[in-house]
Amino acid sequence: MAVYGQVILLGMMLFVIGGACVLIRRNLIMILIGVEIMLNAAGIVFIAASLRWGALDGQAFVIFIMAVAAAEVAVGLALIVYCQGRSGSINADTYNTLKG
Amino acid sequence: MKPILLLLMLFPLLGGLFSALFGRRVSRWTVERVACAGVILSFIMALIAFDSSGGKHQIITFFTWFQVADFSVLMDVRFDPLAAFMALTVTFVSSLIHIYSVGYMKHDEGYVRYFCYLNLFVFSMLVITLADNLVFLFLGWEGVGFCSYGLIGFWYKDMKNASAGRKAFLLTRIGDVAFGIAIGLFFLIFNSLSITYINGHADILTPGTMTLFGLLLLWAAAGKSAQLPLSVWLPDAMAGPTPVSALIHAATMVTAGVYLLMRLFPVFSGSATAMAFIAVAGTLTAFYGACAALMQGDIKRVLAYSTISQLGYMFLAVGAGNITAGMFHLVTHAFFKALLFLAAGCVIHALHEEQNIFRMGKKLRLALPGVYWPFLAGAAALSALPPTAGFFSKDEILISTFLHAGIFYKFLWFIAILTAALTALYTFRLFFIVFTGESLYYEEESEKSVEKPPPNMIATLWPLGVLAIFAGLLNLPAGWGGGGWLSEYFLNIPGAAHHGEIPHSVENGMAIASAVIGIFGIICAWFLYGPKGLLRRPDLPGAWGGLFDLLREAFYLDWLYRRYIAWPFEKMADILWNRVDREGIDRGLYSFANTFMLFSQILREWTSGRLSGYLFMLFMGLTVILCLLAINFSIL
Amino acid sequence: MIPLLLSAIIFLPLFGGLIVLAFSRYPDRCRWISLGITGADLFLVANLLVQFIQNPGAITVDLLWIETFGIRYALALDGISLLLILLTAFLTLLCVLVSWRSITKRVAAFHFFLLLSQTGVIGLFLATDLFLFYLFWELQVIPLFFLIGIWGHSDRVHAAIKFFIFSITGSLLMLIALIGVVMIHKSQTGEVSFSIYALNTTLLTAKTEGWLYAAFLLAFAIKIPLFPVHTWLPDAHTEAPTAGSVILAGLLLKTGMYGLFRIGFPLFPGAAHNSASVLLILGFIGLFYGAWIALAQQDMKRLVAYSSISHMGLMVIGLALWNRYTLSGSILQMINHGLVTSALFILVGMIDERIGSRQMEKAGGLWRKMPLLSGFFLLFAMASVGLPGLNNFVGEILILAGAFKTRPWVGALGFVGIVFTLVYTLRLIQEVLFGEPKTDDPYPDLSLRETAILGAIAIVVIFIGLHPDPLLNLLEGPVGELLGGTKNLLTLQGY
Repeated sequence: MAVYGQVILLGMMLFVIGGACVLIRRNLIMILIGVEIMLNAAGIVFIAASLRWGALDGQAFVIFIMAVAAAEVAVGLALIVYCQGRSGSINADTYNTLKG
Repeated sequence: MKPILLLLMLFPLLGGLFSALFGRRVSRWTVERVACAGVILSFIMALIAFDSSGGKHQIITFFTWFQVADFSVLMDVRFDPLAAFMALTVTFVSSLIHIYSVGYMKHDEGYVRYFCYLNLFVFSMLVITLADNLVFLFLGWEGVGFCSYGLIGFWYKDMKNASAGRKAFLLTRIGDVAFGIAIGLFFLIFNSLSITYINGHADILTPGTMTLFGLLLLWAAAGKSAQLPLSVWLPDAMAGPTPVSALIHAATMVTAGVYLLMRLFPVFSGSATAMAFIAVAGTLTAFYGACAALMQGDIKRVLAYSTISQLGYMFLAVGAGNITAGMFHLVTHAFFKALLFLAAGCVIHALHEEQNIFRMGKKLRLALPGVYWPFLAGAAALSALPPTAGFFSKDEILISTFLHAGIFYKFLWFIAILTAALTALYTFRLFFIVFTGESLYYEEESEKSVEKPPPNMIATLWPLGVLAIFAGLLNLPAGWGGGGWLSEYFLNIPGAAHHGEIPHSVENGMAIASAVIGIFGIICAWFLYGPKGLLRRPDLPGAWGGLFDLLREAFYLDWLYRRYIAWPFEKMADILWNRVDREGIDRGLYSFANTFMLFSQILREWTSGRLSGYLFMLFMGLTVILCLLAINFSIL
Repeated sequence: MIPLLLSAIIFLPLFGGLIVLAFSRYPDRCRWISLGITGADLFLVANLLVQFIQNPGAITVDLLWIETFGIRYALALDGISLLLILLTAFLTLLCVLVSWRSITKRVAAFHFFLLLSQTGVIGLFLATDLFLFYLFWELQVIPLFFLIGIWGHSDRVHAAIKFFIFSITGSLLMLIALIGVVMIHKSQTGEVSFSIYALNTTLLTAKTEGWLYAAFLLAFAIKIPLFPVHTWLPDAHTEAPTAGSVILAGLLLKTGMYGLFRIGFPLFPGAAHNSASVLLILGFIGLFYGAWIALAQQDMKRLVAYSSISHMGLMVIGLALWNRYTLSGSILQMINHGLVTSALFILVGMIDERIGSRQMEKAGGLWRKMPLLSGFFLLFAMASVGLPGLNNFVGEILILAGAFKTRPWVGALGFVGIVFTLVYTLRLIQEVLFGEPKTDDPYPDLSLRETAILGAIAIVVIFIGLHPDPLLNLLEGPVGELLGGTKNLLTLQGY
């Protein structure tokens, strides 16, 4: 059972690293990578839980998450390419038109 | 009886509606004839009704106007001798003045409007005269006010005329406030609005309530009848066409106030205080009007102040508890004052709208004998020379006042008789300046001709002239061989009761005193204002200038109103609008709204537009929620 | 049959409005369709009136709508509602006619909003389910916001937003209080209901009742409008197009009054009873303050707007006195004021179209140039000051004389108010109609369409002035019920 706690710890670390990447980096691609890392962190936790409780639901969820992540990357990268083409920058701070 | 009375009121109304709706499509001839026919037919109906009623009371309901529970307003009439007599007078004088107006307004473009208002006025006046329900009476009461407003401001292109109309409407409405309150109180106390019912049950009122009603009705009547302190509108009302001044502001509408007091006499007659107030108001106004009339330079303003003064006598009659005398004077005054106004109208017409008496003179007497003689008759009646109508009616008021209990009334009598002397003085001042001697400005206007008025104008003067002299026969005292027909006729009217037998000594003494005083006034007038008079000038010499201004401006009452009521009222409107409403309340609400703006300014800083900022907030929020959940779970 | 008719009357304008939108490329067709729809609605209401007179008695509709929350589609028709929807249908028809020439941009949308507001107002006058009432209450605000904001005069956006924020503030407070009442009712009976008949049996402590009533009162007071939350009205009126002013003065202000006596008083009889003096004082302030400020105005529309505040003050006084005479008078006066003030706004709009200004100093001497218009102007101005024989007098004398039965001082002071009214009205007449004309431009007198509009109102004004009995008869039953209902509730609560 010790493995379970360690895997959860790994998931948390990965999640924090991904979150930090999302928060700190200004590059849109890096933000997207951060999001991917966070998603995978969640996936790892799911697998650990699946193992712990002996239920297959968790693994099924991971497959869903992978599919969603793939779709998300496809859409996200397409948007980033469009943004690059439109304003010549993939710096997140360039896009501040929502400023109040 | 019902159809006759209905027609009596409907004819002028239909005439007015005809002018209003079709007047612009038909010829001038038709409009004039329809207007005159409406009033003359009404007069005939009044005659028939007068004849067939035989001095009895009749209450006839036409239909229900509106009703909420016991607040029922009926369109009904109370046809009693008082109303019959008043209706006759109103329709008779109106008929003559309509005929006169056809000549007077010959060259005026606004004749449709003029006849429409005039007919509607007669209708409203008949409503006041006949109505039994007080709210129905109020319909006529406000109706005459509105018609008077329209007719005073008839020549509306001059703002001064329009303002005079507005002033008249406003001041009479200030009086109407009291009338309205009285109606409300009647409803509260009697649960009824019928004059007959109220008069019949007036004995349930306490003296205090009677005093209150007396004062309220006095205030209402003072507005309509131009008594102190609401008198200032009447002189300005002379801005209207002269026949209007004759009909509305001399013969009929202004007497509506007195008539109302007579109509509701039992409601306040039990209160000596109320009666005294009415008598004092009347006496003071009579004196005030006579003084002011003495210094006016405009022929119509002299007559206007004279009307105020004569109406004061009628109030005095009511205050002295003698309705018959009041009504008698009302009728004779209607004849001779209408006559004087109509004659003045002829003079003004003849001199091309000249109203300054110092621009008149003996040329008028020579050119217009048809106006001169009736004017003289009217002047004699106004000065109460025996044996004219004015002499008998005024004498009766003086006798009632003299015989009324209390030293106080003796004092009022003294002022009244002093006023009688002043009346003769100002009347013949007017007469001498207008018809004798030379114009003060004769050099500059020698070439101006005197235009003869149309014959139908002159013709209407004669019947009135005859009545001004002989209407006294209506109520000739026993001492003069008369039977006192009017007193007999009014026998059953509440308040028309006699003071018992009038001592012959008082009657004769009073007659002689009035006659002497009247003649004395005329003699004074001859020496002061005759062709070689000492004071035949538009002002008073030297040191008397202050007195002249005081009287000429009628004790500065008008100025006081403007200074202390009208001006502050307008100023206050301005303050309320600019200071209170705009800068106070509205700005206050805006600053309330602005505090919300302040909050939003602070919150605004958070929306930096930076993606990482938003994400950071998202994470923080998530963390907080997770922490809370964790704490919660641990508690569980 | 009749229940269906009620729904038809409410939703016909909405349906018609959608049709109008479909014809947005043909302005003339929009006008004709709107005229047809409003005419048909007026016909239906007249039909209803005939049936109601033959067969008096409240007509009700009660269908389940949202079951979970006990919300019902419940309507009831009595004499008061009938008169008010008659007024609504009549005035909306006139609005279409008034806007025939003056509205030229986005004609379809204009008529859509006009018809939408008609649905809102009529629905409001019929609803007995408070949720439904609230829905219609909000529904009437939105079209008017656009009517002012899009088709108004120069400062229209500001006025529209001000109007909207005032309205919404009041309604949101009302919504909170409404939910509060429903929750309390649920805790007492275990049943969720928005029906006015169910809710007015709710037992409230005096303090709760006071707060809930205050929230409702604020919403109604803003709509009426009562001092000191009246400042949106002059701005909204001044900037609104003529039809907007007519809807505003003729109908929207009445919904505030209607809510007050139909919902506020029956729902919170104790609080209403205790705070009647507050309402009286506010009414008097409105009466004198509005009249006084009206005297200082230069803009004719603003003057008429302030005169509305003054007249509404008198109606609130009649309502606060809550006796048979004053209540009948107040409700009749709602109709009268709707007619006369609308007519005055229409006249000012017509003058504006001709001389290009609403400032009094630009007008003057119009009698000479436009005798027909001036005649109507004088007639409606006189109706407004309560000349007997015209409609306002009947309502005023009922309120004022009836006041003596409850509080004589109120009646006495109220009569003073009629002088204040006369002062500004005579000034308006004098500045606009009398004097020398300011320019030599010839102005056309009324066209046939304009004569028909004003003539129709004039006939009603004179009819009510001379023979108000049919209307008062319609009011008699419902007024008795309102009085009796609150009286019972008050006795129940130990007053």
